[in-house]
Amino acid sequence: MDKLRAKVRTLLSEGQVAGYLGYLIKDSHPLPHLFTPENLEEVDQAVVAPDNARYPLDKLLIPLAERYPEAAFAIQVRGCDERGLNELYKWGQLDPEKVVPVGVACTQEQADYCECPGPWASVVDYGEKCQPVAKSLRVEQVATLAEEDAFQEWLGAFKRCIKCYGCRDVCPMCFCKDCSLEHEDLMSTGQLPPDSIFQLVRAIHMAGRCIDCGLCEETCPAGIPLRVLYKKANALVKDLFDYETGSPTAGPSPWKMLGEEATLETKPM
Amino acid sequence: MELRAVLTTCPYCGVGCNFIFEVLDGKIINTMAAKTGPSNAGSLCIKGWSVHEFIQHKDRLTKPLIRRDGVFKEATWDEAYDYAASELLRLKDTYGPESVAFVGSARCPNEETYIFQKFARAAFGHNHVDHCARLCHAPTVAGLAVSFGSGAMTNSFAELEHANCILVIGSNTTVSHPIAAKRLMKAQANGAKLMVADPRKTQIAQLADLHVQQNLGTDVALINGLMHVIYKNGWHNRAFIEERTENFPALAEMIEQFPPERVSQITGVSVPDIEKMAAWYAKSQDSAIVYVLGITQHTTGVDNVKSLANLAMLCGHIGRPSTGVNPIRGQNNVQGACDMGCLPNAFPGYQYVNVPENVAKFEKAWNAKLSGTPGLTMVEQVEAVHEGKVKGLVVFGANPVVSYPNANRVQKGLEALEFLLVLDIFPTPTTALAHVVLPGASFAETCGTFASSERRVQLVREAIPPIPGKYNWEIIPELSTRVGYPMKYASAAEIFDEMASLTPAYGGMSFPRLEAEGLCWPCPTPNHPGTKYLHKDKFTRGLGLFQAIDFRPPAEAPDDDYPFWLTTGQIFSHYLTGTMTRRCPTLHHENPEVFVEINPQDAARLEIEAGEKIRASSRRGTIEVKARITETVKPGVVFIPMHFLENAANRLTNAALDPITKTPEYKVCAINLAKAA
Amino acid sequence: MSDQEFEPKILGFFCNWCTYAGADLAGVSRLQYPSNIRVIRVMCSGTVSPHHVLKAFQKGADGVLIGGCHIGDCHYLRGNYMTIKRVRFLQDLLKFTGFEPGRLHLEWISAAEGPKFAQTVRDFTEKIRKMGPARLKSARAA
Ligand code: SF4
Ligand code: SF4
Ligand code: FES
Repeated sequence: MDKLRAKVRTLLSEGQVAGYLGYLIKDSHPLPHLFTPENLEEVDQAVVAPDNARYPLDKLLIPLAERYPEAAFAIQVRGCDERGLNELYKWGQLDPEKVVPVGVACTQEQADYCECPGPWASVVDYGEKCQPVAKSLRVEQVATLAEEDAFQEWLGAFKRCIKCYGCRDVCPMCFCKDCSLEHEDLMSTGQLPPDSIFQLVRAIHMAGRCIDCGLCEETCPAGIPLRVLYKKANALVKDLFDYETGSPTAGPSPWKMLGEEATLETKPM
Repeated sequence: MELRAVLTTCPYCGVGCNFIFEVLDGKIINTMAAKTGPSNAGSLCIKGWSVHEFIQHKDRLTKPLIRRDGVFKEATWDEAYDYAASELLRLKDTYGPESVAFVGSARCPNEETYIFQKFARAAFGHNHVDHCARLCHAPTVAGLAVSFGSGAMTNSFAELEHANCILVIGSNTTVSHPIAAKRLMKAQANGAKLMVADPRKTQIAQLADLHVQQNLGTDVALINGLMHVIYKNGWHNRAFIEERTENFPALAEMIEQFPPERVSQITGVSVPDIEKMAAWYAKSQDSAIVYVLGITQHTTGVDNVKSLANLAMLCGHIGRPSTGVNPIRGQNNVQGACDMGCLPNAFPGYQYVNVPENVAKFEKAWNAKLSGTPGLTMVEQVEAVHEGKVKGLVVFGANPVVSYPNANRVQKGLEALEFLLVLDIFPTPTTALAHVVLPGASFAETCGTFASSERRVQLVREAIPPIPGKYNWEIIPELSTRVGYPMKYASAAEIFDEMASLTPAYGGMSFPRLEAEGLCWPCPTPNHPGTKYLHKDKFTRGLGLFQAIDFRPPAEAPDDDYPFWLTTGQIFSHYLTGTMTRRCPTLHHENPEVFVEINPQDAARLEIEAGEKIRASSRRGTIEVKARITETVKPGVVFIPMHFLENAANRLTNAALDPITKTPEYKVCAINLAKAA
Repeated sequence: MSDQEFEPKILGFFCNWCTYAGADLAGVSRLQYPSNIRVIRVMCSGTVSPHHVLKAFQKGADGVLIGGCHIGDCHYLRGNYMTIKRVRFLQDLLKFTGFEPGRLHLEWISAAEGPKFAQTVRDFTEKIRKMGPARLKSARAA
């Protein structure tokens, strides 16, 4: 932690950033916190979020940056958080010139749990790089199911949804002011469970945008394997459009431009 | 530049989820589920995720109001205090102290409730102080207190995940206690059998391994039937009955009269389903019961609760982890408000007022003359207003005009009062009738504690300063002082410490100890770890008491004039009278207006179409509702949610009361439906 | 319900400039095609959101047919590049979740292709008739 704290202290005291968005233990709970030069001594208490208490810091940065458009901020990022920053730059939500990553490398345990192909940030200020997980067994398992069985599995899960919108509300990539999930004509309201297409609609919006932090699945009270769904959506975007979600070099999102040519063919009936 | 995360506890239901307020430069901008919350572990329901939407709402009351000649005028705090105090003193002097009654809140922190009841008791020398637990879970407190000696949820939420069988009865869990439903779903994923008994086909009923749709108000018969089958088959726990309980022969004699065939006739549940439920419950290693207001809001509320206690004891499914009888509280702090003695028959900690030692103890502690006679309950207070015995009412964070049954009569009563003082955070139909309205601080603007259903006392932390400029725990002492009983506190923690010193179950608690994950009472000493589940080797009362309970039908049944059974309840996006939730855009979007659920067969017969406005009337009133045609209800039964004050379902409901706790029968009455003219 | 009695409900999203005009031509030419299809005219097939398709299934459609201009002929030049991206993606996602990707079909039909229009509707209706009622619909009714 010393390396991380030293970096943060330098950034703050040299005025390179107006604040550092990280974590602090408060009232015995690890909580997100904005460290500022005014309270430099707090940096001694700065921590890396425990694996089971990660919050969507990227999402917190958006209103902060909006309120202080001139200021630069440092932010604690794991691999997924940094992929998130890259997507948010592309979607015009954050300015890369105004963000300084303070990087964390995840433990092997965490990477295995996440099935994470990129469990570290581009700079590592805390932790050791571990073995990335290239393939998602969870996705493969579902892919082997017969269509009818897959349907029963997913529908059974969707029926448990209590429409808390937690998957959206916790998502660092959900920044829209008007949400499709609340579209008056396209999603019915007022009842539980919601329309069975609720999670599919969200999956469509997450394709090429989900940075696979897993916070949605962790928050879902219904235990719906949301992460499997979005991992698949991203894999499809990779297969169909060769778009690597969250990569700084992947170019614009396939959903943001029509493209120079139509590379796909219609499927036969 | 300041961005803070303030950890606090949800102000809605009794699950007691923790969340973080994101506070940017003094404004709450967002809510985020707390990963480290003991009862929610990173989840929230839709109400929780949207909670920031009401706090800084433009409708908040910010200044005291005084009504003179029918018009409200803004006043300074001093004017409001003075006027309120002089009116209260005038009533006290003219009609005697008993002419002023007190209604507390199940929503406010323990500290505020504690000083509220102290104010009523010490300044007025009587016990006419109650709160809305009366309307929901008083039968729980009364029933379980008799059976076990303690009227609270016996086990904790997290334990439910490891039960082998869960009986959910009278609980629309995914709607009213969504994050408790998380545990039920998890249990099911772990292999538990989930049984739901509910007249409606709710979401949790659809998810269940077995759903039975008992006729409204027939729970006692159903439970007696289950016990009959269990006993006949010898699936009961002989050793447990012998060592841990008493009065079993009386129960055995009673359940003898409830063979499945008869029970099936009363309840409408098939004999095989009764047998299956009995077998699953009795034969599983750890079976738990979860219930809420579908059990308590009946004229047989206490009977229903005692019956569930009987069932648990019969099989010995109590006093162990992942078992027990688990009433989930509807309100964030209804457990706490009861613990704090906001009850006409008990001082804090269920120290009953009719025990002279208790009176002496509190007289000494509070340095005041107290009464040993139980006071008036809420609904009795309203009757006393009509009889002219009560002339003044002090309402602290409650909305009786909407939440009480037979709302028309309540409204008339409050209109007749000589003086009505109401503290609330938003204008409500109740504040509209007040003579003085005091603007309250919401839970986001104060420190304190809530006690959740699982008896977990958790901290509430101040995210922003009080919007009206004062903490509620400053307002009550000021009033009390001005009517002649001086009180002064420097902080919520100081109030908590005084309360804890007088309340044995809280005796070992203090704010610093509550920081990490709160403590479940009883926690009698400073190093006691708190109590996850009750009645381990011994019931609180010693031996568990079996009680023979006979079946009584509900007070009102459909007839030619009012041919439909009406049941009321909540919907997932709103909470109680909607004062807060209907001001949250996210929640309003889901359910902007009142509706009635009606079965397609009934709709066809009455030629009612989906979305059509129809008139629903009972012997007590009429409201207009939109038709929602659904199989959720059986033919002959309709459901109306309670949240919409412009068309309050409680204009229809019956104020018939449970004979013991005086809890009204919200869950059953007879109504008629007709196309709107 | 036996397959004989089953009359599928099919929703068509047709672009104004090509497929809708093709449908017109089929009509004027008195080409026969089944009446199971209900048509929504859109300005460009590229305006059809996957959400619209899913909503149709939610509301009980047994099949959804999207028709647009041939690649290169889109009135808005490259609008249909988006159409094909979306449809291919959605078909694969529906496959993964078992939501019957075969019930969604995309066909390029120009204003001059009246016979192709009629044939496509005939074939698609037959295909859906053979598939029977949508799984989602049956699951909800149960
Ligand atoms: S988090 Fe889960 S329960 Fe909540 S809306 Fe999303 S899928 Fe539904
Ligand atoms: S389940 Fe209850 S305590 Fe939890 S967020 Fe919802 S209303 Fe609040
Ligand atoms: S205009 Fe026909 S597809 Fe774009």
